Amino acid sequence: MRGRRTPLRRVWSALFNGYGLLFLAFLYLPLGLIVVYSFNANPINMAVWTGFTLDWYATIFRGASVEGNFDAAFTESPERIFAVVRNSFAVALLAAGLSTVIGTATALALARFRFVGRRFYQALLLLPMLVPDIVLGIALLIFFVGAGIELGLLTIVIGHVTFLSSYVFVVVSARLAGMDTTLEQASADLGAGPITTFRRITLPQIMPGVVGGFLLAFIISLDDVVITYFIAGVGSQTLPLFVLAMMRRGLRPQITALAVLILLFSFAVASIGLFLRSRKP
Amino acid sequence: MTGRLFRIAGAVSVLVLAGHMAAAEGKLNLYNWGDYINPELIDAFGKEYGVEVTLDTYSTNEEMLARIQAGAAGYDLVWPSVHMHDIMQQLGMLQPANPNQMPGWENIDPAALRSKEDPTGDFCMPYAWGAVGILYNKTLIPELTSWDQFFAYAAANPGKVTMLDDLRETLGVGLIMTGASVNSRDADEIAKAEAFVLAQKPNIGAFRYDVIPLVTAGDVAAGHYYVGAVLNVLQNPDLLGFVIPSEGATMYQEDICLLADAPNVGNAKLFMQFMMRPGNAARNAERLTNGSVNMAAIELLPEALKTDPSINPSPEVRAKLQIFEDMGKDLRLYTRAWDRIKAN
Amino acid sequence: MKGDTVRTRQRNTLLLLLAPVTLILAAFFMVPLGIVVVYSFLEPGLYGGVEWTWYPFNYGRILGWPLNDYEEFDPIYLLIFLNSLKFALLTVLFSLLICYPAAFWVSRMRAGRKGLVLFLITLPFFTSFLIRIYAWLLLLRPTGFINTTLQTAGLIAEPLDMLFSGFAVVLGMVYIFTPFMFLPIYANVEKLDHSLIRASQDLGANPVQTFLRVILPLTAPGIAAGSVIVFIPALGNFIVPSFLGGSKVQMTGNVIERSFLQSRDWPFGAALALLVMASVVLVLMVHAVRSGRSRDRVVA
Repeated sequence: MRGRRTPLRRVWSALFNGYGLLFLAFLYLPLGLIVVYSFNANPINMAVWTGFTLDWYATIFRGASVEGNFDAAFTESPERIFAVVRNSFAVALLAAGLSTVIGTATALALARFRFVGRRFYQALLLLPMLVPDIVLGIALLIFFVGAGIELGLLTIVIGHVTFLSSYVFVVVSARLAGMDTTLEQASADLGAGPITTFRRITLPQIMPGVVGGFLLAFIISLDDVVITYFIAGVGSQTLPLFVLAMMRRGLRPQITALAVLILLFSFAVASIGLFLRSRKP
Repeated sequence: MTGRLFRIAGAVSVLVLAGHMAAAEGKLNLYNWGDYINPELIDAFGKEYGVEVTLDTYSTNEEMLARIQAGAAGYDLVWPSVHMHDIMQQLGMLQPANPNQMPGWENIDPAALRSKEDPTGDFCMPYAWGAVGILYNKTLIPELTSWDQFFAYAAANPGKVTMLDDLRETLGVGLIMTGASVNSRDADEIAKAEAFVLAQKPNIGAFRYDVIPLVTAGDVAAGHYYVGAVLNVLQNPDLLGFVIPSEGATMYQEDICLLADAPNVGNAKLFMQFMMRPGNAARNAERLTNGSVNMAAIELLPEALKTDPSINPSPEVRAKLQIFEDMGKDLRLYTRAWDRIKAN
Repeated sequence: MKGDTVRTRQRNTLLLLLAPVTLILAAFFMVPLGIVVVYSFLEPGLYGGVEWTWYPFNYGRILGWPLNDYEEFDPIYLLIFLNSLKFALLTVLFSLLICYPAAFWVSRMRAGRKGLVLFLITLPFFTSFLIRIYAWLLLLRPTGFINTTLQTAGLIAEPLDMLFSGFAVVLGMVYIFTPFMFLPIYANVEKLDHSLIRASQDLGANPVQTFLRVILPLTAPGIAAGSVIVFIPALGNFIVPSFLGGSKVQMTGNVIERSFLQSRDWPFGAALALLVMASVVLVLMVHAVRSGRSRDRVVA
């Protein structure tokens, strides 16, 4: 079918490719705009181009120049930005790590064992992904308040782990489902205990799935707004909350620069994920 | 290799979190509105007293109250509006900081002691006040003086004005325009205000807070906004203007209050004292471009701010400004009205 | 351990593996949701929080029951909910229309290019979604990119009024949920049995018939999955209506957020949240039943 390049086929190809380009343009137009505006020297109105500058990127690391209040009105201090970014990354690392362990364990349990509550667990694990995040955020807020648990970075981590475990579970389960169990059985037959079998045989095979799940959980945690909005506490502002607060007062160009930096970082993370996923076991 | 990496990352995260949870000396945790304090002052205070200051922000009184009630412990100072100050004091959430015994108290305008629960300033220190008026784009509207003009312009150019997404502020405008008090508990008056806003709604472009970029760009011609926009007006006097409408407007005032379970009481009091110094209060007012409650600080302001009619209105205009009181249970009337406005 | 049967050891392993998730979900998911259910039946406290008295009027309020003597029956919350449903469904529809052809486009590619394009498609969604929404604000505003370009090109005289409208809200949500719709459909399209398509063509069906009778039914599971995965977060969303809708477009999520953080009426917010959850559960059950039934049909 592919070999025959009839005129009709070429028209279809052209149509599809044209559509595909439009689709990609739709996806990248807003992003491109953000990148462009991050170099715009105009602090008041991002849409009016007044000149090229790297200042906004510089202020993230250096801090505004001390010429009166004017610059301070448009930039946040590097300390504050750094604190917020650090919070986000710490939470994301911890939440992703914990949920990877939990999700993988659960995926193994459901894939390798037949037991009474199996269907129930499968449904239960899908629930957190399907509950609207505003409901989950409120539920957690009420719970933490009622239980007297102080809100802070730890409560954010707990909240994230609750729904991220499901995501990891789904990713690892998919990997386990496509896995060949003969090596595992051979290992058991040869007398290896379950832990050894897991460590030497299973884990290396599902590793791409585990890492993929970790990266997915990491990215979702990093970008979570709604749930974090409700359960954040003192000094535990994360980057999305910070951006949300800024958006209420009018976005500053400095934030677009920060967004571009984070995009580059995500680009790197996603590339790693892709690379690992493409490696066959 | 990856195993070691994971372990390091895990250890780092735990350390970061642990650092947050450990109590430390020389700290101060502020919980303030967004953009409501000059960051230079925070730096200066930190340097002078060797205190590490953190600042978290909220966008509404209710959000702050909800968070504190939800157990957001660890904050020392909050900046409630006067009516929220009353509520928090009633709920026992505050402790007296005794600003009235601090040096510099004599500079505080006695008229600023508006709190019903705290008329002598035992608990909280008055911070700043301002009116909520209209920011407008002079190239689209050469001169704006009243709500009537604002709404007439909107009727002629639908979608070119915005109002605040705040139920009391916007219903407050409705109440002012229908001749009632912004603290009315009368269901009829509120219904009339609701009808007024609903009638205008098709012409209102949006209910938002971040209107300054929109007005500056000309996307909208005028936006209901706080007097803090005067900062932008002064930077761009030919493009932007700010006015307290002639029919009247709402005003706000915030007090700095010490929370009952504040962990750093000593530093908190030092901070209040620091903010009461005329020089610092003046620097703050310059940045916020709203009214100062510190009479000595007002003297130190540059001419442009001292004479600005929006920041320092004349007594006649001041008489038309109304400040919010807490509604208690009757807030439900407002929320219902607001939900109806939003739904239609 | 000697004397331990394999089964016991297996059971212990199983329990060990399941323990963490059970604890986490029980403590931080089921219990909080239970509390939300309980709260929806309580009376709101004066300054936030709740009073522990039985108060069924929250649900009544949703249905429009008047608050006091002054009000009449007024189903605004139902209206807002129906509005949310409308926007969620529109989002699903347009997202489907946009992603469906794109899935085929990608599926037709050579393996190497396919991976790259998939990477490009998913990459934007690794940036902060708040910034992406703000980018649409910059695009759609009267002095924004789209209007300026169209005006400079001479295509329009006056700027188009795109922002702060239902259009902007749907556009924003479609943009954000694109990967959720694209990936399930794409996974389905990838697994399409092309021999069936070829058979249909060989039997003389024209392209339209082939599409309607063969391709569409075969991709139905992907469409259904994508639709459900987009519908659920779209229904409860409040950030997009707030920023791109200028808060003039109200969805239930906005009312819930206001109840907790502005109006100090937690029980009412809880009741509304349960309403949203109930709809989600309903949709899921319908989806589960229909996919179960179609599976039976295939088997038969």
